[in-house]
Amino acid sequence: MNTTSIPFPARSLPARGTAGKCPICRWESGLRLQLLRSPDHCGQLQKVTQMMEWTSKRSVIRMNGDKFRRFVKAPPRNYSVVIMFTALQPQRQCGVCKQADEEFQVLANSWRYSSAFTNKVFFATVDFDEGSDVFQMLSMNSAPTFLHFPAKGKPRKTDTYELQVRGFAAEQLARWVADRTDVQIRIIRPPNYAGPLLLGFLLAVIGGLAYLRRHNLEFLFNKNVWAFSALCFVLIMTSGQMWNHIRGPPYAHKNPSTGQVSYIHGSSQAQFVAETHIVLLFNAAVTMGMVLLCEAATSDLDIGKRKIMCVAGIGLVMLFFSWLLSVFRAKYHGYPYSFLMS
Amino acid sequence: FTPLRGGLSGGLSQPAGWQSLLSFTILFLAWLAGFSARLFAVIRFESIIHEFDPWFNYRATHHLTTNGFYEFLNWFDERAWYPLGRIVGGTVYPGLMVTAGLIHYVLNLLHVTVHIRDVCVFLAPVFSGLTSISTFLLTKELWNQGAGLMAACFIAIVPGYISRSVAGSFDNEGIAIFALQFTYYLWVKSVKTGSVFWSIGCCLSYFYMVSAWGGYVFIINLIPLHVFVLLLMQRFSKRVYIAYSTFYIIGLVLSMQIPFVGFQPIRTSEHMAAAGVFVLLQVYAFLQYLKDRLTKQEFQTLFFLGVSLAAGAVFLSVIYLTYTGRSSYAKIHIPIIASVSEHQPTTWVSFFFDLHILVCTFPAGLWFCIKNINDERVFVALYAISAVYFAGVMVRLMLTLTPVVCMLSAVAFSSVFEHYLGDDMKRQSPPLEDSSDEDDRKNAVTMLMLMLLMMFAVHCTWVTSNAYSSPSVVLASYNNDGSRNILDDFREAYYWLRQNTDEHARVMSWWDYGYQIAGMANRTTLVDNNTWNNSHIALVGKAMSSNETAAYDIMRSLDVDYVLIIFGGVIGYSGDDINKFLWMVRISPSVASQPQESDYFTPQGEFRVDKAGSPTLLNCLMYKMSYYRFGEMQLDFRTPPGFDRTRNAEIGNKDIKLKHLEEAFTSEHWLVRIYKVKKPENRDRVEHKLRGADTTKQKYTSKKVSGGAEASSEGVFIQERTQLDGT
Repeated sequence: MNTTSIPFPARSLPARGTAGKCPICRWESGLRLQLLRSPDHCGQLQKVTQMMEWTSKRSVIRMNGDKFRRFVKAPPRNYSVVIMFTALQPQRQCGVCKQADEEFQVLANSWRYSSAFTNKVFFATVDFDEGSDVFQMLSMNSAPTFLHFPAKGKPRKTDTYELQVRGFAAEQLARWVADRTDVQIRIIRPPNYAGPLLLGFLLAVIGGLAYLRRHNLEFLFNKNVWAFSALCFVLIMTSGQMWNHIRGPPYAHKNPSTGQVSYIHGSSQAQFVAETHIVLLFNAAVTMGMVLLCEAATSDLDIGKRKIMCVAGIGLVMLFFSWLLSVFRAKYHGYPYSFLMS
Repeated sequence: FTPLRGGLSGGLSQPAGWQSLLSFTILFLAWLAGFSARLFAVIRFESIIHEFDPWFNYRATHHLTTNGFYEFLNWFDERAWYPLGRIVGGTVYPGLMVTAGLIHYVLNLLHVTVHIRDVCVFLAPVFSGLTSISTFLLTKELWNQGAGLMAACFIAIVPGYISRSVAGSFDNEGIAIFALQFTYYLWVKSVKTGSVFWSIGCCLSYFYMVSAWGGYVFIINLIPLHVFVLLLMQRFSKRVYIAYSTFYIIGLVLSMQIPFVGFQPIRTSEHMAAAGVFVLLQVYAFLQYLKDRLTKQEFQTLFFLGVSLAAGAVFLSVIYLTYTGRSSYAKIHIPIIASVSEHQPTTWVSFFFDLHILVCTFPAGLWFCIKNINDERVFVALYAISAVYFAGVMVRLMLTLTPVVCMLSAVAFSSVFEHYLGDDMKRQSPPLEDSSDEDDRKNAVTMLMLMLLMMFAVHCTWVTSNAYSSPSVVLASYNNDGSRNILDDFREAYYWLRQNTDEHARVMSWWDYGYQIAGMANRTTLVDNNTWNNSHIALVGKAMSSNETAAYDIMRSLDVDYVLIIFGGVIGYSGDDINKFLWMVRISPSVASQPQESDYFTPQGEFRVDKAGSPTLLNCLMYKMSYYRFGEMQLDFRTPPGFDRTRNAEIGNKDIKLKHLEEAFTSEHWLVRIYKVKKPENRDRVEHKLRGADTTKQKYTSKKVSGGAEASSEGVFIQERTQLDGT
């Protein structure tokens, strides 16, 4: 059955009503007899046509259990399918799946709109919440997983993409697809306009503000503004927000049996988002205390206010530092020191 | 010990002599305190090189001192990465080795005969003193002398820096932080004075930094950033122009002299910001020159606008490019990078653990610096902001944050002390009736602040002693009565290798132990901590995770003579090879995809070594070597024989037979186990029962062999055997 190379014109699909019939039998009369010898021939063509139709709508075909069994699992098939098994529903909280999905879309689009597009390879995705039976059938327990279903024979070990090793960049996926199916895909990434656009918008806003207030540009030279924003950045970083950004921990933990909510993670290796906010506040309070102490001594307010500032400053420093220390102590087991509160 | 901490204010009333004597004393004491704080490991154990990378540095330094500098630069190390070897001279930052070698040379010239190992062990603590002096100098330029002294005391004992510079931790970072701070000091000095002299000094210091550590990239980006921001703030001056032009040209030429760096400074994107700012500065200076000559005011402003816009676009695009490069680097997520714990983002606990009170107070210092801004305070603000970002992204970059945190915290504390630690002059200016009340308040504030600092000192000492002073080559365990057991299994095993194996024997182990085997046992290794060739590491990982027969093929193809593994099941050491095993599996399929990670888990997705564990795991080479004869051993009356203390489980496969390997050595606490790979037998063993002299069969085989071109190797083999049988 080496007839699969008969090219389908990619952009003029026989979508209208011809799906039931066999287009090649009608068009290519010379091949007709030879082709008809194979009993699978027409079912196969039907399937190819159906797949092409779907692909023309979306470059990645969404599949559920039925479609998967019919178009991928059932044997008469002369095309390969690359399937991403994933869990994109928000309640699954799979951050990697989203990133992998973007890359997979890039790959599929690069193939769909390339000049070399044929019906040899199709890209599809199976979501866990739509086709969990497929996951069971293939005894898969992790997502995302990329599998290649070759046109002939059973998938081998190499038909499972080594996600852990190669990552899910579209280029790597394309190399793997080329390795498995001899289809070379040149990755064309749609330029990402979001970043530059946002930056441009921001610059425009700043420029607009500057223009509106062009007679009074003092605010640009306001040291308090700059100092305040620098402090915000530093406090955000030292309270571990970058860790949150990369690891994506939950906001707090609610014990399912007792219903108690804990805001502080018990181990020093991890943290909750709530906890980092608390730490940010404590750090800011200590900083403010230090600044107040200095202001109290240098400002030219009257003595009573300065007294209050001084007491407030030292109070803030002592209280919040000891509080911070006690939080730290709760997390770092075996730490012996505490101050004011344990 | 408590390091002396002076809240030294201006000291206006004191004669200059007293002041300098006092600062000298304080600096000396800071050096002493910093030095002695780093000696826990030497006092508890002995003068020994720690961990993994320092062993390579030590070996390279040893090579340098015995064979000379040029021989070191051309060194091809055939003992590593067998059979590939490694060109050491071109793939290391030689600054550390040259520094240690030079000190050794000078000492020997003066007839102070010390072993190179002692020079290596004490190098980092000595340099910590130099770091605190350069921090003093830098902070003095930024704020005042009191803050400088305080910063020197902070950096002498802060855990964030001690973590990389305890005695025995002979690593690049130990000297690089000194070079970093000193370069910054000279840079600030050259911006302040605008003299070429200081600028050249800055270049030389930068050259030393480039030769010592890859972190020099931080300098070559921060200094241009400083210049750029100064331009934006319209703080351009001749001083800045002279300082940066000199620094960029000479620094570029000097940095390219290091073989490992080579042409990178003019090729790679992380150096491009410096070049862009250099061009920008020239253009800006030219326009300034024009402005002096021309009078058309509008034309000038137009020019200024255009230039600043273009510059901004260039700079932003550079930042954007590097930023996207960074994120994609993180996205690719190669297991070998992910497996190193240093490449993780930082939790707030790590910040607090390494910096304690300083992490809360340094924003205050930043606040004061920005409020009273000048050219050099712009620099320290940028330093703080960029360093805190990088420290947030990666734990190991906490090291570059630590100095600036010390400096800014010192600014904050010293401003407080300046106002509260009794300046006698000030008291007379408000002659109020409640001056005694104010006195009390001032005293209270001072006492509380001193208390905080005392807590900081105590914290530093505790952290240094408990977290950062283990050599990890020698382990210690403590009994209930406080007495100590030394577990010296690593050195025992490495010494066994050194004494009892052939000089050219090849030892296979996981890459963590490559440097140690090369350094202590002086034997050839297959992979080491340099990790430059992932597929080679993957091959070793595959051998470890395959079954014995498949592993034997790999080991034969790699000419392995001995296999060394770390097994912690007897003493409960958690960093052993079974716990690292999953990384071996994860890394291994990048050459060949036979072992899948999921095959090593139970159907429930657990990693278990007991009876419920997956059969693939229970029969792989690593498991067999770890638990060989372990089933016969009963450690405790409460536990069954073969009870693994690290994983708290009774092992699942107690009857382990090895076919191609034999146990060569097991250390006292079973921590290190070495196996010898058997040579193939002269005559292949026949698994099934011997054939009789069956003539028909003989005829058949000979016929097959006589088939000429179709004779397979198997056929030839059978013919040989039958001939042997016949004789």
